[in-house]
Amino acid sequence: MALKPLSLAWRWALWVWIALAIAGAFFYAPLAKDFIGQSSRILFFHVPMAWASFVAFLAAGVWSVVYLWKRQPDHDRAAAAAVELGLVFAVLATLTGAMWAKVMWHAWWNWDPRQMSIVIALAFYGAYLVLRGGVEDPEARARLCAVYAVIGLVVAPYLYFVMPRQAEFSLHPQPVVNAAAKVEMNSRMLQVLITSSLGFTVFFFWVHGLRRRLLRLADRRAEGSVTA
Amino acid sequence: MSADAPARVEAAAPSASAAAGAPASAPARRWLAEAAAVFAKDWLAELRSRHALHTLLLFAVTTLITVSVALGPLGVSSSERLAVLPALLWVILLFAAAAGLPRAFVHEEETHTATALRLAATPSAVFAGKVAYSASLLFAVELLLVPLYVAVMQLPVPALADLLLALVAGGFGLALASTLLAAIAAQAQGRAALFPILAFPILLPLLLLAIELTRGAVGGAVGDGVVANLVLYDATMAVAGLMLFPLVWNP
Amino acid sequence: MIEGGIGWVAAVNLVIWTGLFLYLLRLEAKVRDLEKEP
Repeated sequence: MALKPLSLAWRWALWVWIALAIAGAFFYAPLAKDFIGQSSRILFFHVPMAWASFVAFLAAGVWSVVYLWKRQPDHDRAAAAAVELGLVFAVLATLTGAMWAKVMWHAWWNWDPRQMSIVIALAFYGAYLVLRGGVEDPEARARLCAVYAVIGLVVAPYLYFVMPRQAEFSLHPQPVVNAAAKVEMNSRMLQVLITSSLGFTVFFFWVHGLRRRLLRLADRRAEGSVTA
Repeated sequence: MSADAPARVEAAAPSASAAAGAPASAPARRWLAEAAAVFAKDWLAELRSRHALHTLLLFAVTTLITVSVALGPLGVSSSERLAVLPALLWVILLFAAAAGLPRAFVHEEETHTATALRLAATPSAVFAGKVAYSASLLFAVELLLVPLYVAVMQLPVPALADLLLALVAGGFGLALASTLLAAIAAQAQGRAALFPILAFPILLPLLLLAIELTRGAVGGAVGDGVVANLVLYDATMAVAGLMLFPLVWNP
Repeated sequence: MIEGGIGWVAAVNLVIWTGLFLYLLRLEAKVRDLEKEP
């Protein structure tokens, strides 16, 4: 019943890693200038969550490509689980962003280009779930959703990285890697940011694996058979 | 009624490829002929019932009347007109498209002509033909709606070329995305109801670009690279559509 | 701005994270059990 020692070890290592990121966010990283009070600390949660949602949507697209190639239900389940989790992270990113916006710009919402693009992303992947619920035949459902998630492979990078940079005016702070491809951020802040981002990414893959297995169990129960 | 239409596609394609020509381009010729045949079939069916045209025009005109009555010439202060009116034009076009374009596939599935069509032509040719059909429908609606809109809302158009570019590139992009998504929606149980849900997120970036270019055409400010982005969007949608449509179309 | 200072916010975050982590470990154990069922 217990996990192999190595598997257990990396899970606890993840706990330590993220605990370190949390501690770093509050005690190790300095406050960013131009931000009100302690609010710049939200950066270390808000940005990694947005990043994790992007990774999730990208993964969904990749698994969908594999599904369209191999037509194995497990890849479809993997894609669906990735979209679900991606939406969770995106919602969290939106909420933390709104909290930050309220503190900095005194309004929960401004339709700033980045806010706009995350809303479109939420609508896009929310539509994926609606599509999933709207097709009865399992093969057609998997195939159509896979195509949609592959469209997402173009849409998501555009929304996350192209669209926000195109606007001439944005309330959001400039991207960390600016147009000259040089990094402009205090090194301690950068360390915590990267630590947190990596932690959230690994966390995503862990929870994704769990969700994928749950979906497989549900399918197994539905068809009453034992083979995965 | 339209049951003989797929046969028309099949008949048109072989005879076209039988025409004399360099052997290397025969498959291309055949593909073009299939696409053209799909286009022709859809327009023939459409001209008989004029259902899609009626739907599109009715929606467009009704929305236009609503907008015009609500705003009136004095309803929007003149400084805001140039910002608001281009956006409303594209909202009207979006509504019309969402109402009229999904039928391109829903109708095929409902009357079961889709199976015949699958046998008669290669998927990418079906896609191209349907896109051409949807685009031409939209252009017809734009041809009627836009002069009407400009006249009723008293909109100045100092940069006509920009406006035409926006209408062509935006309309074509609408047709491309709508065709791919309509094909997906047609196979779901919700059918037409699912289409707006799928289409809105993908069309929004296109609309924003088209609105910005239109805004420039009526005298407002335009950001850099809007035209380039519009063209890029259309090109991306075309490539994505040609590659992905066969996967949607064939089980 | 925050009563008790930033330390409290950090502590709450750690508690939430640890709780979530333990929940996921338990969930994983249940999943493993269900997968073993013949």
